This record gives sequence, structure tokens and C-alpha cells, in this order.
Amino acid sequence: MKELIKKIKNRIQLSLEAEEYLFSISKEKTFAKGAVLIRQGQDVNKIYFVTDGCLRSYCIDKNGKEHTLQFAIKNWWISDYIAIHNNESASLTVECLKESKVLEFNAKKIDGILTLFPEYEPFQRHLLERHVVSLHKRILNQLQLTASERYDLFLEQYPDIEQYTRNYHIASYLGITQESLSRIRVEKTKN
Amino acid sequence: MKALQLVKYGKIKDSLVFNEVSKPTIQATDVLIEVKAAAINPIDKSIILGNLQNMLPIPFPSTSAYDVSGIIVEKGAEVSNFEIGDLVYSRVPQEQMGTIAEYVAVTNMAVSKKPGNISFEEAASIPLAGLTALQSLEHVGIKKNDKVLIHAGSGGVGSIAIQYAKAKGAYVYTTTSTNNVKWVAALGADRVIDYKTEDYKAIVKDADIVFDTLGKNYSLEAFQVIKQGGKVVSVVGPLDEDSAKMFGMADYKLPEELAKLISGKEASYKFIFMHPNGVHLGELKSLIEDEKIKPIIDKVYPFSESIEAFTHLASGRAKGKIVIKIN
Repeated sequence: MKELIKKIKNRIQLSLEAEEYLFSISKEKTFAKGAVLIRQGQDVNKIYFVTDGCLRSYCIDKNGKEHTLQFAIKNWWISDYIAIHNNESASLTVECLKESKVLEFNAKKIDGILTLFPEYEPFQRHLLERHVVSLHKRILNQLQLTASERYDLFLEQYPDIEQYTRNYHIASYLGITQESLSRIRVEKTKN
Repeated sequence: MKALQLVKYGKIKDSLVFNEVSKPTIQATDVLIEVKAAAINPIDKSIILGNLQNMLPIPFPSTSAYDVSGIIVEKGAEVSNFEIGDLVYSRVPQEQMGTIAEYVAVTNMAVSKKPGNISFEEAASIPLAGLTALQSLEHVGIKKNDKVLIHAGSGGVGSIAIQYAKAKGAYVYTTTSTNNVKWVAALGADRVIDYKTEDYKAIVKDADIVFDTLGKNYSLEAFQVIKQGGKVVSVVGPLDEDSAKMFGMADYKLPEELAKLISGKEASYKFIFMHPNGVHLGELKSLIEDEKIKPIIDKVYPFSESIEAFTHLASGRAKGKIVIKIN
């Protein structure tokens, strides 16, 4: 939690009261590999900040296949924002790919901070902006880059991730088949 | 709920009926699965025809089939390894048979989460054949560089057994007919023997393991192609004495000819009767997620055409599994 507070304080001036409030609405939790934090189809009211480990969010299509939306490693936020902001049941599942430490926030209470402590708003906006940038980059990369280039970028972004992900997690994140991913990897070892 | 039920032994069209039945209730160790897909196997056909009525007597009416994939919608008080909403697959135990229905209750011990990279229909095609292949090849301790002969490579069990054996690093011979040579080779078999034009007994020498999925003379011929001290494992051949005891046949003796062949080669012979096992399905899940094993589906039928699916199964012409999409 202290690290997160430090990050916030790097951006904004945080009052002691606001800091205490953040402490009061967060819980430090450790989850085992395979633990499911949010389950598609069920209620969602939690947002997670990752302090260690790796989580994955994915949706399951009507045929039962998984499609990876996001991997979250240290210092990333993860939740099902569609469900939270539209007040719907979860359209995503969030699971731990290895033992992970997170700060768990109640989504409503983290929203409440903006009313109680308006000085927090620029930090919230910064998070949102960063989120939009990353989403736009992901969409543009999907539209204009080759699978091999997308895989390179992926490895840059998540350097050690292949140790604890399965091939199909990465293939479904990149929008390619597992066979294509294997082929790309073989080509890279040749070069 | 709607279910396809066996109402008497006999011809497929006379014996299977769609009935409205009550939703199954669960015991403390069960999960209730909302069925997405079911798959049928040769054993389902044998049951309908009455060929297994001494060994597996079926009360009428009974819902058909064992293979299932779907979503857990209820769980018993003692189930801690699954949650409601989990996507799962299973080969349900005999006493819980009945996957061609909207819901099926299954002991959690027979269930595993389904592989995340394949569809419900593909997942339903795996359990019975996959467990048969895994349990047979594990019983004989398959390992890297073993020479293995797998009969009927295009069959439901054979096609998974080839992939499983390759995943374990074995050298695989398999037999199939001319039309299937190409796609069976694509499963990874090292030497595909076209039994219409080649004699497998002249090609396979000193095999470590023969996996007999055909029975009859093939069970005996296996001893011609295994090495001294080799292992024959069968899912259709004669019972071995331990398996016979399990079925309550205390006085059973191995057929004399088979006993002679076994001792002549100082070999082992084991009959495997597949047993439902969620942990084994979990191992298959990992292999499927790593694409070491790919499901092979011949055709997917809608629920309303389940009886046609059985007719297709009975024709013996399917190349891969026959699946029924329930919901």
C-alpha cells in the first residue's frame, strides 16, 4: 500500500485524511495460482492493484473458448470495468497465473474518494488517460502490425511472462492461433 | 428437462426416445452441470443393442451417454474444488450416466475444468476416449523413446493415444486404412501403416508396447511384434485375471493360448477398463491447452437430431468423434 501511496503522491498532493481513507478502503491480499477473483456472469464490486505476481482477464465466448483481454503485472490495475461502470454482471473472468499479491478496493468506495477528497481527481484522471492510451495502442497494433511484431511488443511489455502463462493465453491475447504463435517463436530462434 | 432416453434394448430407432424428465438432484459431493455438449462412443451403441446387458445392466428408462461439457450451476455442500460458473468436462460414472440431457449431476471426483482453448463441443469429445488412452498407456509406464504400436489410429481412442504417446516422447506405429493415412499421420504418428496394403507384423519389430484397441486376433498377434519382456495393454481383448476378479469372476483363468504367448515373451498383458477420473482429465486439459492433443470431431449434431447421431455412430464411418450440441 505504501508504494501505491508513494505513486499517488508523485502526482498529487494527498492529505493525511485522504491517505487514511485509502488505507481504510483497501485490503492487502495474497491469492494462490489459479485463484479466480472475478467470475464471468457474477457480480463485481472490486478493483485490484497488483503489487506482485501476474493476473489475467479474459472473456469466454458462447462456444466456451477463452479470449484474453489483459495481463496485469506489478503496478497494474485490473478489474471488469464494463461490469462496474454499466452496473452489469461480469463479462470477464480475472484469475491469478501465479501466486499474486494485490490491494483490493471496493469499487464504490474508490469512487467515493472523489466526493470526499476532490484533490484525488487528477490522479484518477491520470489513471484513466493511461488506460485509454494503452487501449488505443492495443487496438492500433492489432490493426496495423504483423503477428510477429505484436509478439515482440508483447514481450517488451511483459518480459518474464512466458514462464507462467500458457501458449493459448498469449495466442488469444494477440488474436492468433497457437500454431501461428509456435511458428513465430521457431522463426525467432532461427534469426 | 428434456433428455434422450433408452427405453428398451434393441434397434437404435426403436430404443431411444426424447422424454421430459425431472432435473437431477445432487448429493453433497456432486456438481450439477448445465450441459452444453455431449459426445457418444461405441459403448453407448453397445448398451442400446443390449450387448452389455450382463456386465452393465441398465434400468429403463435411462438417459444415454457419458461424455459431457458444460457449466456448473449447483454444487453439493462438500464440494470445495469447483465453483458455480466453472466450465467443466467429465466422463460421468456409470451410476450417473445420462449426458444427453439439459442437466446432469456428477460426482466432483469425475470432473475437471475444461481446457480453455477449445469449444464445449471439442471438450465433450475428449473424456471417455482420452481417459482410455491415458490410463492404458500410463498403466504400461510409457516413456521417452519407447516403440509403441497403437492399433486403429483413426478411432476415438487411437487418435488421442497417438498424440498422448508422442507427447511422452515415444516412437509411434499405427494402423489405419488407406483413406485415413494422411490425417492420422498429421496427428504425429512416426509410421502409419496402411493395413489394406501393408502387413503391420512385417513392419513392427521389438515394440516395447502394443496398445490393442481391436481385440480378437490382434490381441494374440501383439506378442509377435513385441520385444522380449514387452507389454501388451488392451481395452477390448480378453480380461486378465486381476480385472476378472474386479468383475467378480474369481475362478477366471486367462485363455490358454494367450497365457502361452505371454510366458513365451516374458511379457505382461493387462486389460484396462477405463475409470472416470477428474485428475486425469486435468492432465489431459494441460496437454490440450499446449496443443499436444487436439480433438478430432467428425460431426456435431443438434440435440433434436441425437438419434441420427447414434445411427451415424452405428454406421462405423465416423472419422473422429460424434458430438451432440445440447444448448
